Amino acid sequence: MSTVLEQIEQQIAKLSSKAVKKNTGNIRTVADGVAKIDGLSDVMYNEMVQFPGNAIGIALNLEEDEVGCVILGDISQLKEGDEVTTTGKLLSVPVGKALLGRTVDALGNPVDGKGPLDAKEFYPVEKIAPGIIVRKSVSQPLFTGIMAIDSMIPIGRGQRELIIGDRGTGKTTITIDTIINQAKINKVGIASKDPNFRPVYSIYVAVGQKNSNIVRTLSALEAAGALEFTVIVAAPAADNPANQYLAPYSGAAIGEWFMENGMDALIVYDDLSKHAVAYRQISLILKRPSGREAYPGDVFYLHSRLLERAARLDGKGSLTALPIIETLAGDVSAYIPTNVISITDGQIFLETDLFNQGIRPAVSVGLSVSRVGSAAQIKATKQVGGKLKGELAQFRELAAFAQFGSDLDAKTKAQLDRGGRIVELFKQPAFAPQPIELQVSVLFAMQKGFFDPIEIRKVVDAATSMKSFFTTRKDALLTEIRTKAALDKDLEAKLQAACEEWKSSYSA
Amino acid sequence: MSKQAKIAQQFARQLFKLSVADGAVSAERVGGVLAYVEKNRPANPVMVLRAYHRLVATELAKSVAVVEHAGVVDDALLATIAASMSKKYGRPVAASGRPNASLLAGLRVRVGDDVYESSVAGQLSALASAV
Repeated sequence: MSTVLEQIEQQIAKLSSKAVKKNTGNIRTVADGVAKIDGLSDVMYNEMVQFPGNAIGIALNLEEDEVGCVILGDISQLKEGDEVTTTGKLLSVPVGKALLGRTVDALGNPVDGKGPLDAKEFYPVEKIAPGIIVRKSVSQPLFTGIMAIDSMIPIGRGQRELIIGDRGTGKTTITIDTIINQAKINKVGIASKDPNFRPVYSIYVAVGQKNSNIVRTLSALEAAGALEFTVIVAAPAADNPANQYLAPYSGAAIGEWFMENGMDALIVYDDLSKHAVAYRQISLILKRPSGREAYPGDVFYLHSRLLERAARLDGKGSLTALPIIETLAGDVSAYIPTNVISITDGQIFLETDLFNQGIRPAVSVGLSVSRVGSAAQIKATKQVGGKLKGELAQFRELAAFAQFGSDLDAKTKAQLDRGGRIVELFKQPAFAPQPIELQVSVLFAMQKGFFDPIEIRKVVDAATSMKSFFTTRKDALLTEIRTKAALDKDLEAKLQAACEEWKSSYSA
Repeated sequence: MSKQAKIAQQFARQLFKLSVADGAVSAERVGGVLAYVEKNRPANPVMVLRAYHRLVATELAKSVAVVEHAGVVDDALLATIAASMSKKYGRPVAASGRPNASLLAGLRVRVGDDVYESSVAGQLSALASAV
């Protein structure tokens, strides 16, 4: 017996005395969160390097005689000559369901004061996007709960839909509404115990935002009960540019875990304009050659490699991306907006004028598009809302023309009235997403002319009354629409009867 | 990097290439390079010579195994380390001992950028960062 123990002890002694090889370098300069390092001859591109005092860095510039690293963490203790070692690892973040309901920083460290994360797995922050073979076309809808979007600019699971507009036009609100709607759908789906139900988990990545805004978003999600299905990745304005640059990729890694494990996820990048600015800052400090608007040459690749990671995988799950871009004075032809427009599968354009006119969400129907189209819509929505976009476009054209003359023929007047009512019907308060079955019912009523006798300025009240009537008294009908997802003769008759019933009870 | 620094760096690199013979820095050639620089002074001699010094020092460090030790290390052990490193890197590597009490026990061998850590202090710091 003692010989066996001696053997084990010898083995331990051998292991513990084994030399560990490290590749090292020394800091030559540190400035603005970037260090230039001598040595590190074995370092790989994007490899994590260890600085003294538990700060880590990422090797981004491998030059002939020096290595440029961005430093993540506290740089105040670093000085010239400090030793830096390679780790042989790529930057990874914790992933999994343990992150739901939590707020983490760009490195996956919890920042919400709720204790350590119980994550079992780690995913690399930078990963090559899924290839052609493993992808599947987008055909399943992802309901935002916003009637104007779900009926005219539908979003599918695995799609990349850009939300673009000036500051203060409601871009973030649309994404929060979408996250809240996913939570609502998840709760209904989980309660129904339907084996085919696929919940959608959300990831909200805040880049370069004010901490107060992040807290507001967090509170809105918490108040709506959506936080339990959401992960927040925060790289606020006070964070160093390296963290702001990394945060979207960390969020994508967290989302990829859901996608790879057969689940569906939604990721919001709020916003990529600030992300591009953070990357420009790093690139200029690293002395990379600058191009248009001082952005580096690879600013397109910065966003394309990020957004390409959103996909619907064959036999697995999906990752839907909603990137946000902030424009200046409505200029969609600026450098970063045009880049991201060309990468995504469509855009929702929000107009300041519409917002100021009280049309909220201020979606510009003419400039907004979803390249996936009706493939990401349920049949019921197609049946009741298929012609809406055309009708609204006609309305806008006629409305502009009608300003010049007072005498209008009956047909034009009817089209103008109808358009005005549709615009009113699409008005929706913030943080109040509507379930798809309710949207179908209201649009059905519009299509059948139930709102025609109502004055345009009273359409919003009438729609609210109708929604309340359906939710309180026609719950079974709504459930039937939701489960069938298409309007057959029987359902149409029931909807017609329900609308008649509402009409008789409603007094404007 | 300014344009001047870039030019100085490029020139220093050319001088360094001239200083290498048979894959190692040659003292004779370094002497020749220094004589040339003195005779034909470049635009920024200090900048050029500093960059040249750094390149030569980096290259020389690859041929020396600096053995830091807390206890006693005899010449036989240094010779064994030198032979082992020469075999590993495929070039002659000389070993030189350097006492370092902060290691507590064990050795730390440095060849160029590579560090082979088998000291108690190194293991303790690895343990501290792992906890």
